[in-house]
Amino acid sequence: MATERSYVSYATAAVALAAIPLSFVGPEGLRLAVIGLLMLAGPGTALVLLLHFGPTRSATTAGALPLIIAIAIAFSLTMSTLVATAMIYAQLWSPPAGVCVLSILTLAFLGLEFKRPQRALVRAK
Amino acid sequence: MTHETATSPVHTAHRHEAHAHVGGAKPPTHRNLGLTPSWHIGALAATAAAALALGVWSMTQVDPLRIGGAGLIGVLPPAYFVALGLSLAGFVASLSLRRLVPALLTWQLLVTVVVLAGADPIIHGLPRLEASFRHLGIADTMGQSGQLDPSLDAYFDWPGFFSLLGMLSGATGAKDLFGIATWAPVGINFLLLAPLLALTRRLTANPRQAWAAVWIFYVASWIGQDYLSPQAHSFVLLLTLVACLLSVFAGWAWPTEGTGFSRWLARSVSKLDSSVPGYGAVEPRRTDTAVLVVVCGLFLLAMTASHQLSPFAAIPILAALLLTGHLRLRFLPVLAVVLPVGWLIFAASTFLSGHFGQLLGSFGDIGANSLGALSTRVSGSDAHVLVVYTRIAEVALVWILAVAGAIVGYRRKAPWLAAAAAALAPLVLIPLQPYGGELLLRLYLFSLPFAVCLAVLPLMSENTAGLSLRRALALLLMGAVLATATVVSRYGNDGMESFNDDEIALVNRLYSTAPTGAVLIEAVRNTPWRYQHYADYDYRALVAAEPIPNAAPLSCDAANQIAHKAGAYLIVTESQREAAELRGSTPTGDLQRFTATCATSPGWTKVYENAGGVIFHIEGVTNGN
Repeated sequence: MATERSYVSYATAAVALAAIPLSFVGPEGLRLAVIGLLMLAGPGTALVLLLHFGPTRSATTAGALPLIIAIAIAFSLTMSTLVATAMIYAQLWSPPAGVCVLSILTLAFLGLEFKRPQRALVRAK
Repeated sequence: MTHETATSPVHTAHRHEAHAHVGGAKPPTHRNLGLTPSWHIGALAATAAAALALGVWSMTQVDPLRIGGAGLIGVLPPAYFVALGLSLAGFVASLSLRRLVPALLTWQLLVTVVVLAGADPIIHGLPRLEASFRHLGIADTMGQSGQLDPSLDAYFDWPGFFSLLGMLSGATGAKDLFGIATWAPVGINFLLLAPLLALTRRLTANPRQAWAAVWIFYVASWIGQDYLSPQAHSFVLLLTLVACLLSVFAGWAWPTEGTGFSRWLARSVSKLDSSVPGYGAVEPRRTDTAVLVVVCGLFLLAMTASHQLSPFAAIPILAALLLTGHLRLRFLPVLAVVLPVGWLIFAASTFLSGHFGQLLGSFGDIGANSLGALSTRVSGSDAHVLVVYTRIAEVALVWILAVAGAIVGYRRKAPWLAAAAAALAPLVLIPLQPYGGELLLRLYLFSLPFAVCLAVLPLMSENTAGLSLRRALALLLMGAVLATATVVSRYGNDGMESFNDDEIALVNRLYSTAPTGAVLIEAVRNTPWRYQHYADYDYRALVAAEPIPNAAPLSCDAANQIAHKAGAYLIVTESQREAAELRGSTPTGDLQRFTATCATSPGWTKVYENAGGVIFHIEGVTNGN
């Protein structure tokens, strides 16, 4: 389970990092795939990795998988919608900047998730 | 300890025992561990793959030009129905296994979605509904300009979804999102799977019923609001919101012994439904729970910024959950009211000031907003009327099953009240306004995820170990009836709702011919245009694609009057003709007569013609007429 989580973390971080340069330049198909994936699942996946829905390996956590996936997608769509809407109302419209904000948000959540086990370890000591 | 467990402590231990019996928490034995041979699972997965291949192949054999008034059902080859039958039978067989295999069930549901919702990309290769094209145009306009122009139309007062698309387009350099719009019905149904499953797990007695409920949702979801639209986007958010609340924040929002009313309410709820939804709940840590509260608020905000109706549908659903002891966050229904009302007053003030009378004109007129709006839809060609009756029958069947399920749930002491309350809750919107005659359709969609949790009850036992042959056959029969009805009802307007490459070429020709700012007229409001140059032209229509009793023939004068000042371009397409015939917007054959007659009128020049339609230029007084 922990290994799977780290794979998902690395993949999410890779998408978030790749999206930043691709929001400015790159082949259209690749940009659409990477940035589309970030907007659809990036910040939400990082968020659900940060949250703990129950004891690791428990039946509860396994049963919560549909909810976890749903929150990952809905939160990503929500943040993409709110960032885009805020830019348009603030008259600061810049799609690449919006994507950068989503990438930074994703990486920030992943960073917090990365720090979390260390905090738990310190407390345990 | 949640209020949920505190409400009836006398029965708590008994309930936990009951849950252990029905909820799948039995100690492992060779039976409930499930010793399903792996070849069974492999065979069922292969059957789904065969259904997918056959379904896709059979759809590629359809000739779109042969689609008539009854829609797609008339031209689908028998192989399609074999594929549909295989996908349905495979799912029921998987549901009958002693041990559920989630990966297999997921694969089978995805196949069913492609077979049922994949007609647009596979048969037509273009987005469904002229609204899809409009939505692309609005996103394009916002993406290009970064500005809102509420004077254009109401979409610019709820820009959330369109600015999202605009950001995608702008950040990827993709000027053409046709591919995404074409595959949207399949993609959106895929996105709905996780929230639906999370939701049904909290509203049913065991995972088997939850999977069956999701399956029934897909086979009974004929509304077709799953195109690239703000309502589809908001529906994903709404279902996730409710699933999250039921999973993390279930329970009473107040002490049930606090006041007389709360005591009476808790006792009444407990009498009606004494079951405890014992599975599917998660218990995050305190800080994570606080984060999820914020996340739920953000879901509401994103819905509010994106769609007019969906946030208002969330209000009664959240209120219903609050009053049945399934929502601990008492402030959330209040927030659900404050956000859309505040948005209407402050962000959508242009719309509000221009449409105040229209918004409240039908307030309280339940008859006009419900049966009145419904009766106007039972019109048009004979084939179309048959399609409309099929839709009504399908809705009736789902609701009859849901009512029967509520009764069965009450008798069995299985969970039913929350699903029933949430299914009925959206109906309180009926007195508000007819929503352009579409309110009942939309309410069916909002109710469906909850109604299906009840609809499975008469057909499935509480036993967690497989389905009996009798129940499996009954479930399969019901699924087959609903799925076939959905093919009729979902694609019943296919002639007018789908478009072809010739029509797109015609529209592109119009844009390359007409100068910016020109008046563009469509004979019937059903043209795949405005996907670009949304704000660059003055778009008009001679007649709406709506049923018009004793419709008058179209006259050249109507177009001449619009073109009188500075001239105009008129476009007449095949799907306009289909729409007029199907909905009864003009007398039968009138569009051909109109085109033939007006073509010889003074000042009318044929600019371009292909198999998709014709473009005329009509001269105005300033350019010679």
